[in-house]
Amino acid sequence: MKREKKEKAKLFSPKYLIYDFVKVTAGLPGLLIFRPKWIYESEEAKKRIRGGALVVSNHYGFFDPLFLMIAIWYRRHRFVCGKEFFESRARFWFRSFLCIPIDRANFNISSLRAITDAMKAGYLVSMFPEGHVNGERTGDLEDFKPGLVLMALQARAPVVPVYIKPRRSFFERVRFVVGEPIDVTSFYGDRPTFVQIEEIARAVRDKEEQLKELA
Amino acid sequence: MKREEIIEKLREILAAAGDGTVPAVSDDSNLATDLGLSSVSMLYMVIAIEEEFGIRFDDVGASDFALLSDVVDYIEGKLK
Repeated sequence: MKREKKEKAKLFSPKYLIYDFVKVTAGLPGLLIFRPKWIYESEEAKKRIRGGALVVSNHYGFFDPLFLMIAIWYRRHRFVCGKEFFESRARFWFRSFLCIPIDRANFNISSLRAITDAMKAGYLVSMFPEGHVNGERTGDLEDFKPGLVLMALQARAPVVPVYIKPRRSFFERVRFVVGEPIDVTSFYGDRPTFVQIEEIARAVRDKEEQLKELA
Repeated sequence: MKREEIIEKLREILAAAGDGTVPAVSDDSNLATDLGLSSVSMLYMVIAIEEEFGIRFDDVGASDFALLSDVVDYIEGKLK
């Protein structure tokens, strides 16, 4: 089997330049406009996330990636997004933000490898497991795609649930709830069955529902 | 490795990841309709195959394999 050079997350690198520049310059206006309110599920949830992890969140609007970046502000996020964005006119930004493309119509092994390799390299990978923008501003969650479980299992990384409360107006304060990291192997070990993978995805969604109550 | 041996190993993989019973499969078994595999189950199976056979799949998607024979052909091609 061909041995590939493994990438490692670094503290500084030229490839983070645009990401960090945008983060620093947009940070203060973002804080002033959105006036974020951090809520933590527990003391455990307040602890800083170290190493590779998979952040999952509900997705109700265009600003959600920005809110996730604010919620866990001390880490760089690598967002999982549809490959069609990499073919759009905004592809420069998706590449600069080190997003990981995924074919939503035909989930493929190379996307899964890219995501798990990123987490193994120590990156924080963030995704919206509902699979698309949930237009319901009630905050009702749709089913989570079980692929998130496969990603976390393969990377042996924890899943960090974050709930973003839908805002009724642009100037409403943003509130998000950060949950405790979930070890997906704590449910059925590291070799769950097909059915158990779907059960774990439902358990992560149930956790998100619990966070919603705190928002 | 003979084709029958590959199918037998696939049955074991599917049994381990399924409900424990070894499924009755043939070359014509449809992965989605006959075996009830979702896209995630399909990739889970691919990972198990890679470990079992010591091969590495190229950029294949969950819907690239329709029948069990497609998977067996792919494995045979990789083992050559």
